[in-house]
Amino acid sequence: MKKNIFALTLLLSMFFTTFSTTLWAQKATKEAAVKVEGEVLKTLSLTLSDLAKLPHVEAIMKDRDGQLQHYSGVPVFEILKQAGVTLGKELKGENLTKYMLVRSSDGYEVVFSLAELDPVFTNRVIILADQKDGKPLADRVGPFRLVVPDENRPARSVLEVSNLIIRFAKE
Amino acid sequence: MFLVLATAGILIAAADINPFYTDPYKLEYPDYFGNRISIPADNPTTKQGVYLGRMLFYETKLSSSKTISCASCHQQKLAFADSKAFSSGINDMPTKRNSMSLSNLLWVRNFFWDGRAKGLEQQATFPLNDPHEMGNYLEQAVKDLQRTKEYPPLFKAAFGTTEITVDRLTKAIAQFERTLISANAPYDKYLRGEYKPTPEELNGMELFMNSPVPSKNSRGANCAQCHGTPKMYMELFHNNGLDSIPKDIGREEITGMENDRGRFRVATLRNIELTAPYMHDGRFKTLEEVLDHYNEHILSSRTLSLSLQDRSNVEKGKTLGLTAQEKSNIISFLKMLTDTDFVNDPRFANPHLKKVK
Ligand code: HEC
Ligand code: HEC
Repeated sequence: MKKNIFALTLLLSMFFTTFSTTLWAQKATKEAAVKVEGEVLKTLSLTLSDLAKLPHVEAIMKDRDGQLQHYSGVPVFEILKQAGVTLGKELKGENLTKYMLVRSSDGYEVVFSLAELDPVFTNRVIILADQKDGKPLADRVGPFRLVVPDENRPARSVLEVSNLIIRFAKE
Repeated sequence: MFLVLATAGILIAAADINPFYTDPYKLEYPDYFGNRISIPADNPTTKQGVYLGRMLFYETKLSSSKTISCASCHQQKLAFADSKAFSSGINDMPTKRNSMSLSNLLWVRNFFWDGRAKGLEQQATFPLNDPHEMGNYLEQAVKDLQRTKEYPPLFKAAFGTTEITVDRLTKAIAQFERTLISANAPYDKYLRGEYKPTPEELNGMELFMNSPVPSKNSRGANCAQCHGTPKMYMELFHNNGLDSIPKDIGREEITGMENDRGRFRVATLRNIELTAPYMHDGRFKTLEEVLDHYNEHILSSRTLSLSLQDRSNVEKGKTLGLTAQEKSNIISFLKMLTDTDFVNDPRFANPHLKKVK
């Protein structure tokens, strides 16, 4: 009899552990990541901890009200190099017709030509920021945002970046 | 030698297939809609395909009860929406969400309120396979249609042989849906310089398009931030402040990302006068209620769109702060989006009715 009760408790507890783990598994949300894809040699999926390992630089942009905002993050150029995008010496000929489509998780999209991102062409450094004033980015801004310095409207400094997609401009 | 035989074989096989001809269907739309349209390479829009798709769109044989067609929940006179908060499918089972108006789908890339279907071909399989909507009858429906007199020749005209498959069926429906273009509302006539809006409409239009800047005394409702462009549609997913804790988590269900909680696709406002009730759950019965929502009842949450926060016509105001007259003017503008040609266009009407009469 005792044995039976023991078996029953065991069974019940097994049942509840599986039940609660599945419940938990449903609730657990995915970790945010930026996907780098398209005309790349290696598709990347960068989480906050992946990005933290890469060398950071500062970038400053004006917000809607014209206030200067200080961000820290990784130059988009460095991220694209890791993915094997044709930059530097390879950015010539037809590769100059490539663009980067930046997509936000709310579906917002903007483009940059690759030459806009390459230090061979420009001194402006566009970063994928993961920090502002030393702190993680706020809800609906981050965890990742683009910071495009020296632009009169902040419309290309995309919030909640989810994808960097490299493509050829097809006429 | 083998190669020669093989080539000959291919030639004979090729000659065996009856060549078939289709006429391209010319999709006409204004330049101001832009050309970022989606037509898959393997499903060009043809007159024959569109006609077949229209027959299928209105075909109740596609449902297990033989009573429901796409048009049951997507009625032309209501800009291809229906008038219920939740539509009823098989055995009056309610759908989980409000039926969507079908117009200008050529420019949509992620279908449904949560964007879960990529492309119209894929989208069509959802209601057909849904036990509540059309009774998960697709496989059997294909067999039923094959046995009819009318359908095999229509499939032959559209796809070259009389064989009916799920793939061909959804392709034809998608072709028909691509032709549902609404671009002849008073607002279009205004854009073409053929219509002079009333002062109320004009003020509503300005409010709709502009952001409020109280310091410059410039009034606005900021609607175009999300519903902008002449299509009155942008493919964005936002939480527009309906709930603090949403019952339906919307896009989060698809992406698994917490920052997508309560986000839904920004719906098109074309023909909005005809598509009540409003929002993914049909919670608002009138446009007045919608305007009251945006003006006075935005509910805060972690994912509430930034475009709906701290935008006010009053310095440091927390709500939009439109006057009753301004709200009513915005509604006058929204009614400029009603395209009576679209809802009466015989090219989109039920093709089965003619035969009955
Ligand atoms: C029982 C009612 C019902 C039937 C029948 C039905 N639909 Fe729908 N339809 C809906 C609802 C509800 C939605 C929104 C569902 C959602 O977002 O989850 C919808 C959404 C759509 C959309 C998405 C529009 C957009 O802008 O994303 C398309 C396209 C569509 N339906 C086409 C069809 C076709 C084609 C058929 C027939 C094969 C069909 N529907 C049958 C109720 C129905
Ligand atoms: C932040 C983006 C955003 C702004 C700004 C915005 N909307 Fe919306 N709107 C949405 C979203 C998202 C939906 C769908 C929400 C849902 O069903 O859960 C929607 C739905 C609607 C609907 C219902 C559509 C339907 O088919 O049921 C109407 C009408 C509407 N909005 C009008 C307006 C007006 C008028 C304004 C300006 C006062 C406005 N919206 C501002 C995002 C926005």
